[in-house]
Amino acid sequence: MIKRISVLILIIFMVSMSVYGAAGTVKIGFMGALTGDVAMFGIPTLEGMKMAVEDVNKAGGVNGQKMVIVEADNRGDKPEAANIAQKFISRDRVAAIVGDPTTGITKVVAPICERNKVVLLSAGAVGTGVVELGQYIFRNTLLDSVAIPPLVDYFVNDVGYKKFAVVTSDNNDFSVSLTQIFKNALKGKKAQIVADEKIKDGDKDFSAQITNIKAKKPDIIFFSGYYTEGALLMKEARKQGLNVNMFGGDGLYSPTLISLGGKAVEGSMVYVGFFPENPSPETAKFIQAFKAKHNGKLPGLFETQGYDAIMMLAEAMKRAKSNDPKKFRDELAKIKDFKGVSGTITIQPNREPIKSPVYLLEIKDGAYKLKTKVDVKMKK
Amino acid sequence: MIGEYLENLVNLVDAYYLQIFVNIGIAIIMALGLNLVTGVTGQLSLGHAAFMSIGAFTGAILTIKLGMPFSLNLICSGLMAALCGVVIGFPILRLSGDYLAIATLGFAEILKVILLNLDITNRALGLSVPLPHTPIPLPIYVWLTVLLVLAAMVLIQNSRFGRALRAIREDEIAAETMGVNTTLYKIQAFAIGAFTAGLGGCLYAHFIAYINPSDFGFSKSVDILNMVVLGGLGSIPGSVLGATLLTTAPEFLRFMERYRMMVYGALLVFLMIFRPNGLLGGVSIRKLVCKALGIKPGPRKPWHRISTRKAGG
Repeated sequence: MIKRISVLILIIFMVSMSVYGAAGTVKIGFMGALTGDVAMFGIPTLEGMKMAVEDVNKAGGVNGQKMVIVEADNRGDKPEAANIAQKFISRDRVAAIVGDPTTGITKVVAPICERNKVVLLSAGAVGTGVVELGQYIFRNTLLDSVAIPPLVDYFVNDVGYKKFAVVTSDNNDFSVSLTQIFKNALKGKKAQIVADEKIKDGDKDFSAQITNIKAKKPDIIFFSGYYTEGALLMKEARKQGLNVNMFGGDGLYSPTLISLGGKAVEGSMVYVGFFPENPSPETAKFIQAFKAKHNGKLPGLFETQGYDAIMMLAEAMKRAKSNDPKKFRDELAKIKDFKGVSGTITIQPNREPIKSPVYLLEIKDGAYKLKTKVDVKMKK
Repeated sequence: MIGEYLENLVNLVDAYYLQIFVNIGIAIIMALGLNLVTGVTGQLSLGHAAFMSIGAFTGAILTIKLGMPFSLNLICSGLMAALCGVVIGFPILRLSGDYLAIATLGFAEILKVILLNLDITNRALGLSVPLPHTPIPLPIYVWLTVLLVLAAMVLIQNSRFGRALRAIREDEIAAETMGVNTTLYKIQAFAIGAFTAGLGGCLYAHFIAYINPSDFGFSKSVDILNMVVLGGLGSIPGSVLGATLLTTAPEFLRFMERYRMMVYGALLVFLMIFRPNGLLGGVSIRKLVCKALGIKPGPRKPWHRISTRKAGG
């Protein structure tokens, strides 16, 4: 009888051992779209992750185990993303999930990860209300709420702008949230919003909005939407003889802004979390390795964020000396001044990341040029 | 106590399968509702997802703001959607065919814009939905609702009301001549369809835990219509089969990786070529079962007659 019980205990013990590390591997799930409308975020994230896993395994893996990526395509579809998250957790027994690059799907996946105590590290979600969803939910992106205040300081104090015109695309969640953050950052500064105009994604005619803005004589237009509308907005401004520049978030950061806007967007400014010019030593090394592997293609923001996500997880696992998410979660929450390839990352006590620096780019002679690097200071 | 017991029962099922089962359940609820409007009554609606969004947002807001018990919440969501169905049904159900399809499409777009601009729906940012206030696990709720909706649809189709709806589909003028108040019946069918969509939406919102007005766009409506058409217009088993197939196909085809959706599309095209009436369109399950058992299909069972007499007054 005792023998039988001890055999049973042994079996249970072996089964539970194999849960997090079958055949000496630690599995990381990739959550993102490889096809469909948002594949342009998912594919580069996965590329970055793959490079990081190679580097981790070359250095001997984590805690004696090799790292493996389990990938699945969610097409940007919410019910399907929930299915995949559940599959990663109950079938593949992943230690952590990296993704989704979009805020909406991250919010769908987060409760599932939280319930099952698996770490979710989003390499792309920038919207509000993500890490609030649970103790196991993290992200490593440059948040607009982190980037905007130092930029507003720069514009108001260093450049001396006083009158801002704000344009929001009100059917775009990214734009609505960015405008909110911008307005909050401007409060208490020696500057004011003179015009507050609304457009919609897909609009072609902005003459009414520009007429209103022109009458208020702003120093600069803050546009929180995407590049297509941004280009058309500036074209209309120039047509009406309004000679102020536009400034906006990385929704404007696309070659299409320049090809569509032409001369009208010369002098427009965008801020981004990653720019290959003037890199830190870590970033320079990554850019070189990436170019060597992808026939000279330059990496973008999502490649670097995917890379950093894996590296942060590996770092946390090493520090915790365990690949069990219940244990390395605490170490991930304590990451400070992590020298990533997408910038320096610190996880605050509320799990929101602070990333530095912010790159402010200006369009000059039909190309994005680095205007200045703004350092983000940790709030005390 | 019961809640704990049921929770343990649900946890016996593999979590991944459970997830898919629940998705299937919600799809079946949505498909059955649309089947009544489009399949049985013959009114092409391209705005079914709009009623789903009403249910989803009503359910979410009731849980967030009032913390209402989930069963009551579910019914309120359904009623809210049904109310919208009646209000919108009065003007647009006087149209028919393509015109009705465009009008329902327009309604869905208007509703999406309204939801995108209301503060209570958090505008374009969407709502994170907390856990529902109920001891009973959500998967059980979903499948209980499926069974209830299924039973209701079978009863409706075999009643005098259901036959009137079919008469409208076959020939509206003839039906009117026979004394069927076509507008009233169409609005009633529309309201019932909207009610089930509201139920589906409320369950969806609590299950997926995050909703955004853009989730309930034209493509969602077309997805549901796909299920009904693929299964066979007007066929209840067809709608169930269509919803099940179209929900599970992307998961089954996962091994094909990036070619998955291409194969999925090709499958749809082939099915429509070889079975233009849908998988179970014009197939009587009762006759099939009788044939398999080797019995001659007899006259309809007595409860059909009872329900007929009741509905007929």
